[in-house]
Amino acid sequence: MLPSFRYVRPRTVAEAVKALAEPGARAHAGGTDLVGSLRDEVFDAKSVVSLSGLAELKGISATNDGGLRIGALATLAEIARHPEIAKGWPALSQGAAAAASPQLRNQGTLGGNLCQRPRCWYFRGDFACARKGGEICYAVEGENTYHAIFGGSGCFIVHPSDTASPLVALQATVRIAGPKGPRSLPVEKLFVLPAVDHTRETVLTPGEVITEILLPPPLAGGKGLYKKVRARGAWDFALGGVALALSVKDGKVASARVVLSGVAPTPWRVPEVEKLLVGRPLDAKVAAEAADLAVKGAEPMSGNEYKVPLVKGAVEEALLSLV
Amino acid sequence: MTDLLYWLQGPVPETAPPKVEMPPWGETKVVGKPLPRVDAYERVSGSAVYPLDFALPDMLHAAILRCPRAHAVVKSVDTSAAEKMPGVRAVITGKTPGADIPWFRGRGKWFSKLFDERARYEGDEVAAVAAETRAQAYDALKAIKVEYEELAFVLDPREALESDAPLIHEGTNRYGDPADYARGDVAAGFAAADAVVEGTYSTACEIHSPMEVHGSVVKWDGNRLTVWDTTQGVFEVQEAVAQSLKLPLANVRVIGHYMGGGFGSKLEAGKYTVIAALLAKTTARPVKLFLSREEEFLASGNRPANTMTVKVGAKKDGTLTAIEFSSIGSGGAYPNGASTSFLATDLYTCPNVKARDENVAINAGRARAMRAPGFPQGAWALEQAMDALAIKLGMDPVALRLANVPKASQRRGNQPYTSTGLAECLRDGAKAFGWSEARKRPKGDGPVRKGVGVASALWGYGGGPPATVVVKLYADGSVNVNTGAADIGTGTKTVMAQVVAEELGVPVEKIQIEHADTGTTQYSGPSGGSKTVPSDMPAARAAAIEVRNKLLAGAAEDLKLPFEELRLEGPDVVSAKDPSKKVAVTAVKALERHQVLVGVGTRGPNVEGKVISMFATHFAEVEVNTRTGEVTVTRLLAAQDSARVMNRLTFECQVQGGLVMGLGLGRTEERVLDRQTGKMCNANWHDYKIPTALDVPAEQKVLSVDLVDTECNTAGAKGVGEPATIPTAAAIANAVHDAVGVRVHDSPITPPRLVALLSGRGKKG
Repeated sequence: MLPSFRYVRPRTVAEAVKALAEPGARAHAGGTDLVGSLRDEVFDAKSVVSLSGLAELKGISATNDGGLRIGALATLAEIARHPEIAKGWPALSQGAAAAASPQLRNQGTLGGNLCQRPRCWYFRGDFACARKGGEICYAVEGENTYHAIFGGSGCFIVHPSDTASPLVALQATVRIAGPKGPRSLPVEKLFVLPAVDHTRETVLTPGEVITEILLPPPLAGGKGLYKKVRARGAWDFALGGVALALSVKDGKVASARVVLSGVAPTPWRVPEVEKLLVGRPLDAKVAAEAADLAVKGAEPMSGNEYKVPLVKGAVEEALLSLV
Repeated sequence: MTDLLYWLQGPVPETAPPKVEMPPWGETKVVGKPLPRVDAYERVSGSAVYPLDFALPDMLHAAILRCPRAHAVVKSVDTSAAEKMPGVRAVITGKTPGADIPWFRGRGKWFSKLFDERARYEGDEVAAVAAETRAQAYDALKAIKVEYEELAFVLDPREALESDAPLIHEGTNRYGDPADYARGDVAAGFAAADAVVEGTYSTACEIHSPMEVHGSVVKWDGNRLTVWDTTQGVFEVQEAVAQSLKLPLANVRVIGHYMGGGFGSKLEAGKYTVIAALLAKTTARPVKLFLSREEEFLASGNRPANTMTVKVGAKKDGTLTAIEFSSIGSGGAYPNGASTSFLATDLYTCPNVKARDENVAINAGRARAMRAPGFPQGAWALEQAMDALAIKLGMDPVALRLANVPKASQRRGNQPYTSTGLAECLRDGAKAFGWSEARKRPKGDGPVRKGVGVASALWGYGGGPPATVVVKLYADGSVNVNTGAADIGTGTKTVMAQVVAEELGVPVEKIQIEHADTGTTQYSGPSGGSKTVPSDMPAARAAAIEVRNKLLAGAAEDLKLPFEELRLEGPDVVSAKDPSKKVAVTAVKALERHQVLVGVGTRGPNVEGKVISMFATHFAEVEVNTRTGEVTVTRLLAAQDSARVMNRLTFECQVQGGLVMGLGLGRTEERVLDRQTGKMCNANWHDYKIPTALDVPAEQKVLSVDLVDTECNTAGAKGVGEPATIPTAAAIANAVHDAVGVRVHDSPITPPRLVALLSGRGKKG
């Protein structure tokens, strides 16, 4: 059952920031994660701050430099069907389309997708896990099929977003409003590893809210995609996936960003793979080498060793599909 | 047989044989036609009132406090704070007077109580609250203070048999001794075989997950109780509630009407009904008690997980020489069936067979019959073994099965079947699927490989008595049909209207169905075991014929013609010799005089010395991504032998649903229990993965082999609900093996499991 809370409808970003700075305040964008989390008592809320009245957080528009501005309240469905995004930033388009289900994509927002809480069943369920302030991470000795093979320590969630890895690959920036004024961050710097703080997933501080996401202009000779492997055709998070943003010049990779999803508590960039790709032609040999390198250093647990071949396979397939 | 076949537990009362002559139908005018459901508009428009929608003035809402631990002693329950919560009208526990009610009976004894002092799984009932709103009731649950003493728990049936395993019930964790079956000499059979295969297979625990959660609305009028229940059997619920509350049957009226799916989990009365009745008695208010979706996952039943070892031997020509099968499963924390051996002992002709079923208690939610209980599990093991045997023999898997089609049920005293459609299912199905062509097609040498697979099944039950149906012909020629059977979404009402329309020539639109109400309709067993068509339709037919006979007799008097000369033709009774001699149905004096003609039809006994079974063969085509373990099921075809198809449309719908459910077993569904706490990890619809529209192949074909069976019953129809789901998962597993040469022994075939096997990291069976 939902807890009792105050519902606040700010009319300006400044009002929203003020309301969100109150202890126990929760932001309500699409609500697809918030309402379920409150109902399942994953966390509590003293007040729920609706963002729906904030016009500044809406819309998708071109920027002067040839890039794109996406309001934090743009829905995943809007992004998935946006022809310019499909053309210039295909990894994001495909990531948005691969998330959740049609109903959830109609309701869920890009800002919310980046700020959603983890789907780990110990976090979501009736378990006093470390992320909720408990003593242990139940995944270590428990049912860890869907857990991290990279970047875990003290907590082994995987980041649930299908848009975060594409945005990191595309070198997107988030604009944040907050009590100390606005700031910008590369999406790559938005997320927090459990080694730093295992009780939160983003660097946002109380009162801060993402207002927009900025995409730099598409690269010349740019190619990209998001490949997601899941157990069910819809309404399922990634078992493993990869976002690619490459540029190719004269038959060789000129630049590469390779970011894994579903394998780590944050989008998981693999710089060694990026280095390997640059200066090489995109062919079967390079794809196989890159795939091997992508899973190097993985630390699987008892039930998720499969992620090593799965992610390797996904990276290889993704690279080959760009040939 | 003990718990092997849930419908054979205990004797069933017989009803009198029908009073009327019912020769087999030849060509039918209405029966068999693809008529849309009589209640289709109500169902899709939302105007149908399901028990979950039901509300009464002054009604309270109730909620159940469940033990959050896998195994614990309930030391104390303090309800004082909860009783003072806003809106709370009653809190009950096992100590409340009248609440000390035994529950879960098996093998002649009770295994638990409505609120047991010992909680044996996460979800066991501890207390309950009734409040003005549902939210208040759930809030009050949180204010109940329970002191638990935690006990060691066990989740795996094999571990539960170890000497140091925690005991869940007194003395032993076994639900009865292992059930053994044997015929012939298995050792000699294997010695005579040219090829033998052996393997261990397992199926994951599945949750029924009906759209409508379990629950009831109850209301007392003095000492009479009315229950609006979402159930597959109103009379089953009536009996259990009456027993629990020590009331005569006559004082308990259970109304079913619409219900949003059960799949076997609603064949019996739930604790919630009795808890609601106690709360309603205490508060003198109607009470509504429905489970939350989370409770539904924990405490409303499941298809138990099974581990099965199967060994099959055959001659070079495919003739089976021996089958050995053993199975272990769990009814859960309280007794329920977990056997899977039936198919291994009866589907194929084999002289030497040995089988063992073990059923062991574990600290997890109790199993309940789930669409063909035990059979999809058994098919998963047996039909994969048959596939492996075909490969070893170098035979086409269809040909291997065709070489062993039985004419009699070896498990049931070698009695012949009334009809055996297995060969037709295999042959016609293979033809319609394009099996031979698909087998010859290259599998591909890229990362994505194609494969096809086949698996067969039988369902060993063809309905039977008791069932009574009343048909009333009204003065204006319209008809009321009165049956106690539930329509669990399968189209019972529609098919029964067709049967009556067939015999009385009345358009289906002029037939009203009154059903599933112990107060106003006649006894019918719960709708399970694919029995409603073969049990209740013959009774409906008998009732309609009795009405027709009364009408013809009346017309004979009016026209002064012999009864035998008269025919019912549309709105008139007409002389077969002289069509000018006729009387309108509505003008027949007997009808005018009484304003109604009543026919009572009963289901006669089944044919003696014969066995009624349905057969099925499913074909699957898959694409497997060898890099990632992703499987796409591209085509499914179900060839079914149900004898007569009563309605092409509802038949096809039901088989389509069976295929999807089978696909869930094969591809996505799996209850996950945390080994550290015994709690369920995925008690929600996101983490427990029901197939979505994107998991179902675009091409799903349904084929009936349309055998004529005049012996199974007077409708000539054997039923279809369960055989439509039995072999699907095994067919998919065989197709995956065909595509990539890897046999997936454990369900479901997920990318994690398959990619691990493909990369040499998975458990090899």
